[in-house]
Amino acid sequence: MTTQELTPKEKQEVQGSEQLQAGRYYVPDVDIGEDAEGLWLRADMPGVEPDKVSVELDDGTLTIQGEVSLQPYEGLTAVYSEYRVGNFLRRFNLPQSYRYDHERIAAKLVDGVLEVHVPKSEQAKPRRVPVNAG
Amino acid sequence: MTLVSFDPVEGLMRLQGELDRFFGKPLIDLGLTGPNVFPLLNVFTHPDALVVRAEVPGIKAEQIRLQVEPGRLTVAGERAGGGQANLSYHRRERGSGTFSRTIQLPRDLDTEHATADCRNGLLTVRIPRQAAAKPRHIEIRPA
Repeated sequence: MTTQELTPKEKQEVQGSEQLQAGRYYVPDVDIGEDAEGLWLRADMPGVEPDKVSVELDDGTLTIQGEVSLQPYEGLTAVYSEYRVGNFLRRFNLPQSYRYDHERIAAKLVDGVLEVHVPKSEQAKPRRVPVNAG
Repeated sequence: MTLVSFDPVEGLMRLQGELDRFFGKPLIDLGLTGPNVFPLLNVFTHPDALVVRAEVPGIKAEQIRLQVEPGRLTVAGERAGGGQANLSYHRRERGSGTFSRTIQLPRDLDTEHATADCRNGLLTVRIPRQAAAKPRHIEIRPA
């Protein structure tokens, strides 16, 4: 049972090649884990509506994007700021991407967290190798 | 200046510019001196209210305790670790744990009628101004 405290983190801007669309892009924090079924990814994208995310697996690169909603800011005037607001973007190289079933990638956005499952294709699932005694 | 635009790209850039102007500057009235406690806050005004906003991804409304009283606002809660068991992690950046932050509030706010919502990982607290504190239009009687 964790009793540690959450610490504040500053958003990092995306480095490297630029996007076509103007405006700053930020790198979402992720947890990426793997089990026998495949990859499981969670990315923090607060302020993004569920229909404004995209997940692509293309040529060994997994790209996750989220467009932040401006609707919560209508009629408001800023007077103080501790965190930046912007769209989210992050890319990962997926080694041996042929092991994953591109057709069955699943993604959903819950409470500003993007959850992605990249399942392994049946043939690629790890097989326990019996160790013969002798 | 209201932050709304028909073009989402322009609207976002204007919002970013607005926030840039205030980033790193203290807000003495609320005792806010910088981003040193979770959750980080952005503060906005509306003609009728003060609006305090925090990013709380992965934290549901039920996991947040929000307390508002004259002169003070406290937001506390916990983010659960979550995720499946038996995962082997490549990256672990998101963190879990408890949080509790208190800020001062100006005295001209009607804290009894504060409201809050938590949607898509964004907590928004609206504290209306007291009726007497709002600018009143005064009729000028003709001579």
